[in-house]
Amino acid sequence: MRALIRFGKQPRLRFISHLDLQRFFQRAVNRTGLPIAFTQGFNPHPVMSFSSALALGWTSEYEVIDIKLSAPMGRKRTEDAVRSALPEDLPVLETRMVDDRHPAPMALVRMSDYIVRLGGEDASAIVAQIPAFLDREIVNAVKKTKSGEKEINARPLVLSMEPLDAASFKTRLMLTESQSIKPELLVGLLSDMAAVEAPQIRVHRLSLSGLDADGNPAPLMTL
Amino acid sequence: MSISERIENLLMSVQKPVRYMGGEFNAVMKDPNAVDVRYAFLFPDTYEVGMSHLGMKILYHAINARDDAWCERVFSPWVDMADLMRRDGIPLFSLESRTPIREFDLLGITLQYEMSFTNILEALDLAGIPLRREDRSEGPFVICGGPCAFNPEPLAPFVDLVALGDGEEETQQTIDLYRKWKAAGLPRDEYLRMAAQIPGIYVPSLYDVTYNADGTVASVVPKPGSGAPKVVRRALVKDLDSAVYPERLIVPYGEIVHNRIMLEIFRGCTRGCRFCQAGMIYRPIRERSIERLMRMADSLVASTGYDEISLMSLSSGDYSCLPELAHRMVERFAARRVRISLPSQRIDTVLTDTLKETQKVKKTALTLAPEAGTQRLRDVINKGVTEADLIRSVTDAFEQGWSAVKLYFMLGLPTETDEDVLGIADLAEKVRKCYFSVPRERRAPGLRITVSASVFVPKNDTPFQWAPQLDYETVVHRQQLLKQALSRVKGVDFKYHAPDLSYIEAVFARGDRRLGEALERAWRMGCRFDGWSDQFRYDLWLKAFEESGLDPDFYALRPRPTDEVFPWDHLDCGVTKDYMLREWERALREECTPDCRRGCTGCGMKRYPGACESR
Repeated sequence: MRALIRFGKQPRLRFISHLDLQRFFQRAVNRTGLPIAFTQGFNPHPVMSFSSALALGWTSEYEVIDIKLSAPMGRKRTEDAVRSALPEDLPVLETRMVDDRHPAPMALVRMSDYIVRLGGEDASAIVAQIPAFLDREIVNAVKKTKSGEKEINARPLVLSMEPLDAASFKTRLMLTESQSIKPELLVGLLSDMAAVEAPQIRVHRLSLSGLDADGNPAPLMTL
Repeated sequence: MSISERIENLLMSVQKPVRYMGGEFNAVMKDPNAVDVRYAFLFPDTYEVGMSHLGMKILYHAINARDDAWCERVFSPWVDMADLMRRDGIPLFSLESRTPIREFDLLGITLQYEMSFTNILEALDLAGIPLRREDRSEGPFVICGGPCAFNPEPLAPFVDLVALGDGEEETQQTIDLYRKWKAAGLPRDEYLRMAAQIPGIYVPSLYDVTYNADGTVASVVPKPGSGAPKVVRRALVKDLDSAVYPERLIVPYGEIVHNRIMLEIFRGCTRGCRFCQAGMIYRPIRERSIERLMRMADSLVASTGYDEISLMSLSSGDYSCLPELAHRMVERFAARRVRISLPSQRIDTVLTDTLKETQKVKKTALTLAPEAGTQRLRDVINKGVTEADLIRSVTDAFEQGWSAVKLYFMLGLPTETDEDVLGIADLAEKVRKCYFSVPRERRAPGLRITVSASVFVPKNDTPFQWAPQLDYETVVHRQQLLKQALSRVKGVDFKYHAPDLSYIEAVFARGDRRLGEALERAWRMGCRFDGWSDQFRYDLWLKAFEESGLDPDFYALRPRPTDEVFPWDHLDCGVTKDYMLREWERALREECTPDCRRGCTGCGMKRYPGACESR
């Protein structure tokens, strides 16, 4: 049996790196008192995985951790135990128990929704470029990857984007292994279009989604 | 913009922002309006170093157990953060609530090593608190404690109170007194005068220091009418079983130096190594019972989720029932995948059984500290171990599957000769032979021997407080001698450092009040994080001494006559000066003194009624 836990990352803890968060959860699951399944081998560790790494400095209300249990456990009890093992700045928001055959959430993720807040004086000029961006069919961009730089068309990776106010917007971006774009790059492209310097941004993840049986976007926890 | 937002804006631009983040699991949050006393506890080094320190954890939880007080943590911001805070006018703040330190009632500072002293001035300055006590008319009282508190004289101009000895009780007394003082609406100085009546609390400003023509101290006496005691004797917690110990520990997010449960199995060490300050100032040995330790371990494992328990003390191999303790710990926690580890392993303890227990869970490098290369010199320093002990320990370890050994030594011990130094290389060679004497099929592959040689620093409140530190040139000569000799022993990694840092450390360890001037100058010139070799600025330190008209050699290199009055003589660490002098004389005669558990050696601790009877 596995527990899928959706939790948030509040502003205070936005500087915990993904690696540190993984280490943190190894200790946190020990504190839950739940029957956690451990890997075999010389150096056993809890069987768990994260749906998607959150970049340093971002906040979120949709992080999903998948924890394997060695014995059946009720949803409410699991949620309470995990909540008691986390600080208040990592709030538990939703829990779902699934059986071992349920696909790993990481493999189901297709897209992510964000709120992006722009700093600096050029924010409104950048936000004003959103309709023009969406009107284009091709937006050339250079994406930095582990193996170097790559030319991509950024436009199809941006599924939706709408201004919230003069200095922020909401957007849904592709997030798969082969097709993804980060909010920083998107803001860089909008800034180029506005012919201004890219500002500092604050990113908040609203949700992670996959595709349901009919091929329509659906929140990860419902799949 | 709130202070919190202004801090947030800096965190994107600094190394390791988690250092300043707070919000860890088990960090204590309280309503500031619901407490009477706000206590800031400063560890004057980085978060990673400070969060690894046991004393801070004990006092943090002891203070926070009170409903009327809230203790918050603060660490020295690394140089990048400190510079940005100055640029943006952000004052030093607490980790829990991000409150400016100058708004606290009490500021406790732990003095773990002399080379953190400039960080204290840096912290006060970043906090916006005037450095010198006489310039402060408001803001927190500054209270220092920890091992360096036994000679706080170089810090005397900057601190209000110094807490000597075990802090569990005296810290509470300073808080109780603060409440009383505040309720009575008394002037600031009155708190100091009243605090001088608390056992173990020293108030430097209530004492006058006079000097002889040769620069040595003539006397340190209480100011007339101050009511301060002539001699301040260290506070002692006699029974650790009933002493407070945290049931929850803060679990940091980033990696810190010691990221595990620290279980203090006993306090004090009575082996009497003559160089060792901890072996003097933490006497007598006070053990926790196995039952208490098991209960502590249970609650800490449950509340932290750590997978390692370190059995801490000055010499964990000396715990009276170590095999039973280790056995029960392993038995209780192995199923929960919690490792048990033993730091500061000594070479003359019966290791075998314990090693078997710990290796069931994990094998790390065996760390041994022979300290000196020849038996003669080991007798001088009263390191009551022989070469045969060492050989037996490492052979046992190799036979049980260890392949890494770390050997710690000191260079520049009193009476040391080149021959003693070459003895270190001989010892390393013998350890190597031990490994190859174990049949190949029984030993673990990949022998690694690390030899570390630090430079000896004579410390106050030790039998070697009369000894000069070895001069720079001779230290360098002996380091090179050893390096060459070790290059002929295969598979040895030799670690050593330039002696300049140890030299400044030696100046402050036995320094007097006049050094406060040099300390402040050095800090004004930019010295901070002196314990970090990449930050340490020897040139600035020498300049600071010169401009203060002080000769550092006077403090570090001068042999001190046995009738000299020391700047710290009015502070009684529990072990008497008479005893230390006897030990110094025995050292020069190369005579050993046995551990007092085999018979009282008259160190002075019996002056505390009942202190030596619990074991």
